[in-house]
Amino acid sequence: MEDRWLAKMLNLIRLAGKPAELHSLRNEAQQYLKSHVQSLPIDQCYEQLNEVHDAVICRAITLAEAEMARLGMGAPPVPYAYLLFGSGGREEQTMSSDQDSGIVFSDGEGASSTRQYFSLLSERIVRNLLESGYPPCDGNVISSNAEWCLSIEEWKNRLEGWFNEPVWENVRYLLILADGRCVHGDQMLANELKSYFYKYVLNHSDIEKRMLENTIRHKILVGVFGQLLREPYGSEAGSLDIKYGAYIPMVNAIRLLSIQAGIPATSTLERLSELIKQGYLNDSDGNQYYAAFSQFLSLRLLTTSQLEHGWHTSNGKLAADKLDKAAISKLKGHLKAGKKLQQYVYKHTLSRLSQGGG
Amino acid sequence: MIKKMVIALSLLTVLFPIMAYAEDPTGATLDMGLNSLWVMVAFVLVLLMQGGFILLEAGSTRMKNAGHVAGKTIFTAALATLMYWAVGYGIAFGGGSSLNAVIGWGDFLFNPSITAVEGDSYPSTVFFLFQLAFACVSLSIAWGGFAERAKLSSYIVFTIFFVGIIYPVVAHWIWGGGWLAEDGAQDFAGSTVVHLSGALAAFAATVLLKPRIGKFNKDGSANEIQGHNQVFTALSVLLLWVGWFGFNAGSTVAIGDGFFGYVAFNTMLGAGAGGVAALLISWAVTGKADITHMLNGTLAGLVAITASCAFVEPWAAVVIGLFAGVLVFFSVKFFEKIRVDDPIYALSVHGMAGIWGTLANGIFATQLLADKVGVGQGGLIDTGSVKQLWVQFESVVVAGAFVLAASFLVLGVMKAIMGFRVTEEQEIVGLDLSEHGAYGYPEQLKKPDASFKA
Repeated sequence: MEDRWLAKMLNLIRLAGKPAELHSLRNEAQQYLKSHVQSLPIDQCYEQLNEVHDAVICRAITLAEAEMARLGMGAPPVPYAYLLFGSGGREEQTMSSDQDSGIVFSDGEGASSTRQYFSLLSERIVRNLLESGYPPCDGNVISSNAEWCLSIEEWKNRLEGWFNEPVWENVRYLLILADGRCVHGDQMLANELKSYFYKYVLNHSDIEKRMLENTIRHKILVGVFGQLLREPYGSEAGSLDIKYGAYIPMVNAIRLLSIQAGIPATSTLERLSELIKQGYLNDSDGNQYYAAFSQFLSLRLLTTSQLEHGWHTSNGKLAADKLDKAAISKLKGHLKAGKKLQQYVYKHTLSRLSQGGG
Repeated sequence: MIKKMVIALSLLTVLFPIMAYAEDPTGATLDMGLNSLWVMVAFVLVLLMQGGFILLEAGSTRMKNAGHVAGKTIFTAALATLMYWAVGYGIAFGGGSSLNAVIGWGDFLFNPSITAVEGDSYPSTVFFLFQLAFACVSLSIAWGGFAERAKLSSYIVFTIFFVGIIYPVVAHWIWGGGWLAEDGAQDFAGSTVVHLSGALAAFAATVLLKPRIGKFNKDGSANEIQGHNQVFTALSVLLLWVGWFGFNAGSTVAIGDGFFGYVAFNTMLGAGAGGVAALLISWAVTGKADITHMLNGTLAGLVAITASCAFVEPWAAVVIGLFAGVLVFFSVKFFEKIRVDDPIYALSVHGMAGIWGTLANGIFATQLLADKVGVGQGGLIDTGSVKQLWVQFESVVVAGAFVLAASFLVLGVMKAIMGFRVTEEQEIVGLDLSEHGAYGYPEQLKKPDASFKA
């Protein structure tokens, strides 16, 4: 029943004629999913929500391509892949996610006209998505930024530059890239880029060390007495920063373990399942982390959101009254599990590095 | 060369015959001189604590009030000097009245002898100065409750009553031979007399003034109004810490057998323990090692050890400081929760820690040290008796109730007659401008629009 409704919505999205239509269809779908959050398991909930997002984004891209053709720029001159980073890459977008994206295209003849084409295309895609309710990325990781719209050879050169100079910004870019996922276009190109990344990352122990530092820099918000560390002051007093105090630290930890294990999946839950399956995490710890992350994912959907410049944005904070006693005690246990995971990643990485002679 | 020196020396001997014929001073004179010098040094140290209060209050509040905060501290110390000379000292230490148990009477417009009187261990002048500096400290603590919103005129009125009557009455009860002194209340350098008195006056003020604009939200949650200069605040703690050696060690008012060193030693331990405990507890509870809490804890350790520094062993000084550091952290949270705005944390640092320090005597004082100081007896741990603890409790409750009631009366009447708080516009513009006409940081702040001028 639900699936049928969703399939109908996805179909409508795929047929939408302009971004405004995409926006209202997206809102309608989100409204529907919001009312079903309680009755669905959280992984299915995210799955359906991200199916909607993917459909909207793909439609925005094809609309942009059509517009380019209408303007006499023709079809894409070479194959390309539209990549999503951040929560989009991890298939963990919420009701209010922003745009983190990039483009990789094939090397071919007529390099400058090709670049010109993709530069114009990405501008149109980003604009279509803005009109569909996706605010731009604060950090300017977006396909319309020339730095994130490159041919495969340029990407490889850029990666090499990052590997050779592991300053914090480059390490951040590499970690962003690790969550990259092809949402539209040539999957092979995306795979080529990702396998290049995996091939080199494990040969650079200094990079791994810096990644570790970046990975564990967010503290999990549970105190030494097992208490929740809430916002002490301001209009958000008493609320809990679920995004940076629970969700992101776990995303980061699992990502690093997956990079080390060479697991290509981008969704955190999938990464976790793979880590357990391949024996990198034992069953009992792994299942504990899985349960913890699932709760963080559901709490993340309850965080305070507001309308900003017409876009839904969330500050990632969970108001105190959204949690009852049982949920709090469960959350405390899960935050402790998150802390344990951070410690494990730290120890595991250091011992890897010392074994590798790095 | 030698010839010239002999001639010069002979000439000098003729000119200043005393150099040639002076008798050696007696042991008693030397003793008196040394004591006087020590009390004088202690007075200077305690007076310098006003510098600490200037930095503490200014650093913990906003830029727009900094000039006012700093200037009013000097001004009220000046006014307090006159009031204490004219009235306060006579009530605290003027002897010989029939009501001596309740109030001193005499020595108003104090006119001391120019040197020490035969048999005294120091001249009354240095004692007066030392006691005056204590009164000024208590007064500056009270200003914590006035911060950022009280009219300048209210500072004048309150100084007159607090230094003229309220503080001297408590000082008389405990130090001036009043009824609590008779009972053997131990408050070596003033956890109750100075700190608790000041803090309760601050409490009365902050309750009557109500919270600063923007401190609490409609739903009761608190906002953090950050001070404008944490370096000032840290420096203030250092200045106060140094001054505290005049405060506590100076309270021996004698060089004697060097007991002042032991008092200073305990003071140092209490302060250290307070700072460490507060940083650790804030780290453990909030997840952040908070500087403000750490500074509060250091001061709370000092406040708490003030009553007990001469009565307890070093290990107890550490325990007293540690507990004070933890106590001050939770006390700050508590006052915030009950929506009492305490901008300088006076209620927690001087009030709660003052109470704890006074009670701590009843637990940790040893018989040996009580005998040495000559006040009261050993506490619960040393003697197994709760008598001293009861006396300490009594002195906290009675002195506290008196200061609280008197402060509410004075400030309440003042509020009704002349008003206590500046207008909202003035508060937003800042007291520098509204009360004095110029900013303490003129280059950092722009004068507001005409529409905002009060």
